[in-house]
Amino acid sequence: MDNYRPAVGTPIDQLDTPCLLIDMDALDNNYAVVAETYRDTVCKMRQHTKNIKSPRLANMQIQAGGTLNGVCTAKLSEAEVMVEGGIIDVLIPNQIVTRDKIARLAALNRLGDVKVTVDNADNIETISEVAVEQGVVIGVLIEVDTQMNRGGVRSPEHGVVLAKLAMSLPGVKFRGVMSHQSADGWPDADERMRLSKELIGICLEVKDAIEAEGIPVEMVSSGETFSYAAAAQILGVTEVEGGSYALMSNIYGYLDEFQVSNKVLGTIVSTPSPNIGIGDFGMKALSTAAAANATIEGISGVTIEEVQDEHIVLRSDGTEPFVVGQQFMLLPGYQDHMPNRWDQYIGVRKGVVEQVLDIPARGCHH
Amino acid sequence: MERPIFKPIGSPVEELDTPTVIVDLDILERNISTVASFFKDRKAKLRPRVDLHGCPALAHMQLAASDTVGGVSVATLGQAEAFSGSGINDFSVRGVVVTPQKIARLCALARHAAVTVAVDNPSNVADLSKAAAAAGVQVKVVVAISTKPDRLGVEPGQSAVDLAKAVGDSAGLVFDGFMTIEEKLKVDDVSQLAAESRGWTQRAIDAREAAEAAGVSVNTVSVGGTYNYEIAGATDGVTEIPAGSYALMDAKYRGRRDGLEPAAKIMTTVTSFPEGDKIITDGGNKAVGMDRGNPISVEFPEAKIGLSAEHGNIGLKTPTQKRIKLGDKMWFTPWDMGVTANLYDYMNAVRGGRLEAVWDLPARGRYR
Repeated sequence: MDNYRPAVGTPIDQLDTPCLLIDMDALDNNYAVVAETYRDTVCKMRQHTKNIKSPRLANMQIQAGGTLNGVCTAKLSEAEVMVEGGIIDVLIPNQIVTRDKIARLAALNRLGDVKVTVDNADNIETISEVAVEQGVVIGVLIEVDTQMNRGGVRSPEHGVVLAKLAMSLPGVKFRGVMSHQSADGWPDADERMRLSKELIGICLEVKDAIEAEGIPVEMVSSGETFSYAAAAQILGVTEVEGGSYALMSNIYGYLDEFQVSNKVLGTIVSTPSPNIGIGDFGMKALSTAAAANATIEGISGVTIEEVQDEHIVLRSDGTEPFVVGQQFMLLPGYQDHMPNRWDQYIGVRKGVVEQVLDIPARGCHH
Repeated sequence: MERPIFKPIGSPVEELDTPTVIVDLDILERNISTVASFFKDRKAKLRPRVDLHGCPALAHMQLAASDTVGGVSVATLGQAEAFSGSGINDFSVRGVVVTPQKIARLCALARHAAVTVAVDNPSNVADLSKAAAAAGVQVKVVVAISTKPDRLGVEPGQSAVDLAKAVGDSAGLVFDGFMTIEEKLKVDDVSQLAAESRGWTQRAIDAREAAEAAGVSVNTVSVGGTYNYEIAGATDGVTEIPAGSYALMDAKYRGRRDGLEPAAKIMTTVTSFPEGDKIITDGGNKAVGMDRGNPISVEFPEAKIGLSAEHGNIGLKTPTQKRIKLGDKMWFTPWDMGVTANLYDYMNAVRGGRLEAVWDLPARGRYR
């Protein structure tokens, strides 16, 4: 684990590299876009913390507005970090199946309202048993598979069976339905709306079938960064699980209202030939997802030639020669996996350190 | 920080909280012993490359096996700092250290440990010398020899000799020899691996011969790794091999290295079983790692493995006849354990199916 805490006011060019920066102006912009988008809508943002791993960053969106004052997390241990960070309303859009983890989920519900998604009758029964033992009530949502081919029910009928089961058992409270989607490539606004309607429509069919049985569906948690604007316009969706929008990534460049706010700051440590610069970080600090489609800022005319485990090989078109000791920044292709490999963000504004932000949910795989 | 539910020492491995790294100590000890026995009575010695796991407990096991140089190889200064807290006091940094902040850290570390660093640039030699002399420490320096043009290091000819002489003439610095900073070869063919590694090794040997012809004595020639330790370790003029993957091993080397078997695996839990030919687990890309290639499923070695960020997806060719339940364990051999170890704060050391120790990984994430 690293513990790098430069003083507030330190100029970027004096930072010890590599470090994971957040451009605070860009982050503020992204949070303002979401606050404005959801200001007058019924549907609200439930920020996904898998991309940020920091309750402090999540609380900044809650303060900026547009949210339902809650978040979602990929894992149970990540939910614990968010509750400890003062966020009470948490949804875990994932399955928690082992008894010892369900006991932890129940314990967390003494402090917060931590809901989980289910796709299996045995799992609902176990959650009910553990919740009753501990004297708490755990909210459950039915996960619907709309595209991803992983967890989730495959039919409205299965959703109805599980909703009825949840309604019949003590210790669990049926709250609604949830689904997750993704879009490839560079979809325009029309395509994003078409895709959102088609895929979220599958989730809404399950909601309709459950309501037709006289069971109220309070939450429809769906939508993500690519569909954040479209989903808010789809009747019935109550919340959007956007994650990538906060720190952003090059592959979301089609959403040009957002700016890439997380960048890896590195230093050129070697120039074996005039047009080659070797940087002081590599794949371990990035991940393949961040390295693919990454771009370089700070030195003109530079492309990435190779990402090694501990070094990056940069090639210049000759516009600006490399100098040993000079800094550069890498903008990630897709950032989700990257903060999970770091212990601190260095928040910078106008060329100096504004704040050091820990990443306490890093490594929260459990 | 990882937040597993810790189970008592002696617990059956299947009861451990997932996803998690499980190290089979019997296999690990065999791997360490296999490589140690190769180096017994040879001129070349092993310098365990410990950045591939970040674990002091494991580093001490590697050093306790016979015929090492008595120190370790790391990729970054931060990793050396992390390991120095565990009593290891001889580090070779496989990289160059150029910024004032890092040179100051290097000199501070050199006060209480033997530190070797690579150089490929005369002005860096001057900067290191000035700082080391001012701090009153001695830093050992090796000249980095590039494996091919446009990579870290210098060509093995006159420029290498000139740098060696410059180091030798510099206060605070001790010229120690040559090092190649090697990347993993992205080839599957063992004979091609051997051929390419001979080429890299030869460049370092060429540098040694050129330096000695110019009257510069050479102590260390550090080349190779797990993929070629027998070849490089048997080459005249090579003094140390910074190999690390041999201990935990991984799918990348499985079946390609005699006497070495994967000791580290990731144990995950089935969280959803939506269709007979699809098993969903709690170990996705963030927990299993696939930067350099896909993991192999232990239970279903022929299955197509998909890892999204948070979920593992075992895709079977035909629906399995096994009865799969939620909560069942599914094991994976990572493609590259160096990538995977960097995702964790702990490893579970297991013997005979029971937890024997929980190891901290303090060097994880030390990129600086």
